[in-house]
Amino acid sequence: MTSIDVRDLTKEYGGRRAVDRLTFGVRPGHVTGFLGPNGAGKSTTMRLVLGLDRPTSGTATIGGRAYTELRDPLRRVGALLDAGAAHGSRSARDHLRALAVSNRIPAHRVDTVLERTGLAAVARRRVRTFSLGMRQRLGIAAALLGDPEVVLLDEPANGLDPEGIVWIRTLLRDLAAQGRAVLVSSHLMNETAAFADHLVIVGRGRLLADAPVREFIHARLRPRVRIRTTDPAALGGLLTRHGHDASQDADGTWTVRHARVDDIGRLVARAGVPVLELTAQEATLEEAYLDLTAAEAEFTAQPQEA
Amino acid sequence: MPFAPVLHAEWIKIRTLRPLVGSLAAVLVATVAFSALASADAEETDPLYSVFFGVSFGQIAAIAFGTTAVASEFRGGALRLTLAAVPDRRRWFAAKATAVALPVLATGLGTGLVTLLVGKAVLGDSGPNWTEGLRGAVGCGVHLTLMALFAAGLTAVLRSGVATLSVLIPFLLIVSFVIGDMSSGVADLLPDRAGQVVLHSAHDGALGPWSGLAVAALWSAAALSAGAWSLCRRDA
Repeated sequence: MTSIDVRDLTKEYGGRRAVDRLTFGVRPGHVTGFLGPNGAGKSTTMRLVLGLDRPTSGTATIGGRAYTELRDPLRRVGALLDAGAAHGSRSARDHLRALAVSNRIPAHRVDTVLERTGLAAVARRRVRTFSLGMRQRLGIAAALLGDPEVVLLDEPANGLDPEGIVWIRTLLRDLAAQGRAVLVSSHLMNETAAFADHLVIVGRGRLLADAPVREFIHARLRPRVRIRTTDPAALGGLLTRHGHDASQDADGTWTVRHARVDDIGRLVARAGVPVLELTAQEATLEEAYLDLTAAEAEFTAQPQEA
Repeated sequence: MPFAPVLHAEWIKIRTLRPLVGSLAAVLVATVAFSALASADAEETDPLYSVFFGVSFGQIAAIAFGTTAVASEFRGGALRLTLAAVPDRRRWFAAKATAVALPVLATGLGTGLVTLLVGKAVLGDSGPNWTEGLRGAVGCGVHLTLMALFAAGLTAVLRSGVATLSVLIPFLLIVSFVIGDMSSGVADLLPDRAGQVVLHSAHDGALGPWSGLAVAALWSAAALSAGAWSLCRRDA
């Protein structure tokens, strides 16, 4: 079982810190979502893990070793960084063949990954004729080529059509279910929530959160209850009397914050208020993320210099 | 990592790019065609150079080949994927240079022989003798290879094919045809001038045929070392 370990990783470009003492781990058997706004240092971190950029300080290791020390690295680690990495004048098949040969990966893997990414029919076409979504699939095919235990994908859903997005979601969950360590960067919250079970969130190069998805959401935001009644006045009075933070929406339904359906349901039943609808509302990852970044902005806000 | 799989991969990359195969064909066609024209014209007084006159044009195709082969790595993040597959950058660059050199050498030697045969057929008795002619053919192959490697090294430093060609092509055209004709001395030590001494029957400068190629080889080695150094030092 191989995992990625990032420890105190720092990268400076001309005095600006792109990655700032970042420490986190990516465990096998999980899809770890790597979240943060554009420019937060996600891609830089991935390049540092792959030994493409040299860290200013700190380490990134895979199974305890630096990436550059791995023998036939594509058999251990697969990565998608840029969808444009394949030369436009080369066929998808030749692109993968050259990669496979360099790491002594058996030739049949080329066909296997072309099948798996749905590119088998266009394998002999030149990459120039591919749509962005197809290039993205080719990049994923290259990442899966060596049947690696560790997979790093930088914004893999970019350019994919709706069908492709469903496909990648399933693919990522399958890879984790097979016991691989999967790190997927994204700036799309709800998309990440659909496939990740662990989160690493960065902002301006720093670690903001490292937690399982459910835990992260629940720690930041309590659940809410949505309730609809024929007697809004009675319901409003009841909720206020019991100290609930409730408000009425434009369509007449009420939202009760920081409450559970079990409590609200019993309360309205005892009071005899007629109920038409009672729903538990989970907070979304997006809401939890925005709550986090709002808190972070407040925490890190510096006095403006004139 | 062993060298052979990396070299094999680089060879696949070269032969699956049509522009590269095209520029190899251009080495042959340009050299033979311009040499044949020069031989027929017979204005050139040096018997060997009148046979190999076209190398000045063929070398532009060889430079285009070396440049394009390396420049294809510096676009769209291709180098990151390459170096993720082969993290040992020196080894990778050595494989790339070998994969550039071997096909140019093979094409260059073939081109030299064809050019010699065509030249001897056109010139008849006024052409060079076989010993001199074969020296020219081998020199043609080696010179073209060294020019391709020089361009490959420079491309790795400049990280762009357009930048490399816009330095090298004017340099060759201006230095070779303008400055080179006027003065000898320092200009004789420039890579393409030094490498082409082997294509002349008479050589009045400091360099002979083989020492000329050695000077050209030093230029190529310097360019390749600079390219390797730049590759190892910089972030991909």
